[in-house]
Amino acid sequence: MIKLDRVRLERRTREEHAQDLKARLFALFTGRYRSPRRKTVLDDVSLAIKRGEKIGIIGPNGAGKSTLLKMICGVLHPTSGSVRVDGRVAPMLELGAGFDPDLTVVDNIVLYGVLLGVPRRDMIQRIDAILAFAELEDYREFPVRALSSGMMARLGFAIATDVPAEILLIDEALSVGDESFRARSRERIDSLWHADRTIVLVSHDLTTVRSICDRTIWIAHGRVMGDGPTEDVVREYVRSVDQTAIALLMRARKATAERIS
Amino acid sequence: MTKLVDPRLADTVGVLFQRTLKTRYRGSFLGVLWSAVSPFAMAAVYSAIFGHVFAAQYGNSVVRYASAVYIGLAVSQLFIAGTAQALPSIVAGSGLLNKIRIPFEAFPLSIVAAYGFQQLVGTLPVLAILTLIDTHDPLHVIALLVPLASLAMLIVGVALIVSGADVFFRDIPYIYDLATFFILLTCPIFYPASIVAPNVLRFLALNPLFQIIEEMRALILTNDWPDPATTALTLGEGALLFAAGIAAFAAMRSHFMEEL
Repeated sequence: MIKLDRVRLERRTREEHAQDLKARLFALFTGRYRSPRRKTVLDDVSLAIKRGEKIGIIGPNGAGKSTLLKMICGVLHPTSGSVRVDGRVAPMLELGAGFDPDLTVVDNIVLYGVLLGVPRRDMIQRIDAILAFAELEDYREFPVRALSSGMMARLGFAIATDVPAEILLIDEALSVGDESFRARSRERIDSLWHADRTIVLVSHDLTTVRSICDRTIWIAHGRVMGDGPTEDVVREYVRSVDQTAIALLMRARKATAERIS
Repeated sequence: MTKLVDPRLADTVGVLFQRTLKTRYRGSFLGVLWSAVSPFAMAAVYSAIFGHVFAAQYGNSVVRYASAVYIGLAVSQLFIAGTAQALPSIVAGSGLLNKIRIPFEAFPLSIVAAYGFQQLVGTLPVLAILTLIDTHDPLHVIALLVPLASLAMLIVGVALIVSGADVFFRDIPYIYDLATFFILLTCPIFYPASIVAPNVLRFLALNPLFQIIEEMRALILTNDWPDPATTALTLGEGALLFAAGIAAFAAMRSHFMEEL
């Protein structure tokens, strides 16, 4: 279903922003042009995800978790190695992304769905069901800017989980809306869970990962550090984080001690 | 995975096109009216200033001169504003492009389509009426579609090139601004092409907009059919820039995400 084979991704570092045609031409002309430095974001990542698996991805900030999701949904392409994904992928976007605040709720549903890859005609047929789930039937013709952030979150969640996709990518938590909606979104996640849908969840919230995912991949410095049953991988990850913290603490204490003496 | 045309392109352009029409040209009736009226107002000003100088070239008729100016303004406006609005569209979409895989070209294409649509709804009826008044020949109205097709290819080709280049170099808007100024100056908008010295005219004739404007004027203001060689030239130039736009975009697109 999803197969990454020895994937390596290099990206240009962001600090040098000489993105100026005039400056570039001048630099080329005077022979002072240097090609930008590149940084390896993912290195030698191989993994296979089967249909229906619920995968958690954990790791420290900047480890390459979100980059991995971008590879799976086809936004980024590997520098070397191969990525194969069978089936429609629906990334679940963070609050408000993918909406146009000036368009009506109905127009936004179609816009969002088409951007996620659903044919326009199908999306139009789904409008009512999505409005019903998000409890926004009374807001059909309201511009999205008039919605509260909770309503917007409900709308985004309702669309993303309604899209007929085999693979759902979720970046960060699902703290969506009020209690009653959260209960129902929980239900929907569970129904997705029961269905054949593949879920890849990136999260710092280990509790969520534990409760949703049966398999977890731990990434650090762009490499896969662990891949296996969630309990084992999370335990290992927590131990490594603790060890790093302890090491840091020891170093700090040593430094303080040295300063005092 | 890298098919020549993404199967989702049509639907994506469709929703973005509607979004642009609904948000940018909100109350689109006024927008349409404006697109028809603003060249009128400018043509009136040009006629007041230059009318008595150039009317001789238009059968001593200031109205015919004003019509010629209107045509020149409508065509050049469509090209310049259409491409200039498409220019920042991919960079503007970078937030989305970083999260979802969307065919890049949907952004410039939808902007060009939305701008062209609202502009043509305003100006096409005016051009058609002018044609009927001057030629009494409905065939001439239909024939307007030929230079308009050249114009459309030209606009799409240039829009693809500048919107793609904008991803790599953020000073492209300023450079393109300057370029459009030259394009505008070398177009016979408020002056007849016949007043330009022949050795200069040879260079001006390289400007594809120049030929399209002259072709439209011939169709609208005279009963003569435009020189087939000119028609072939404008269609050829349009097709060439269209192809160049597609080729340049195809070469640039794999590097877009590096910069966005």
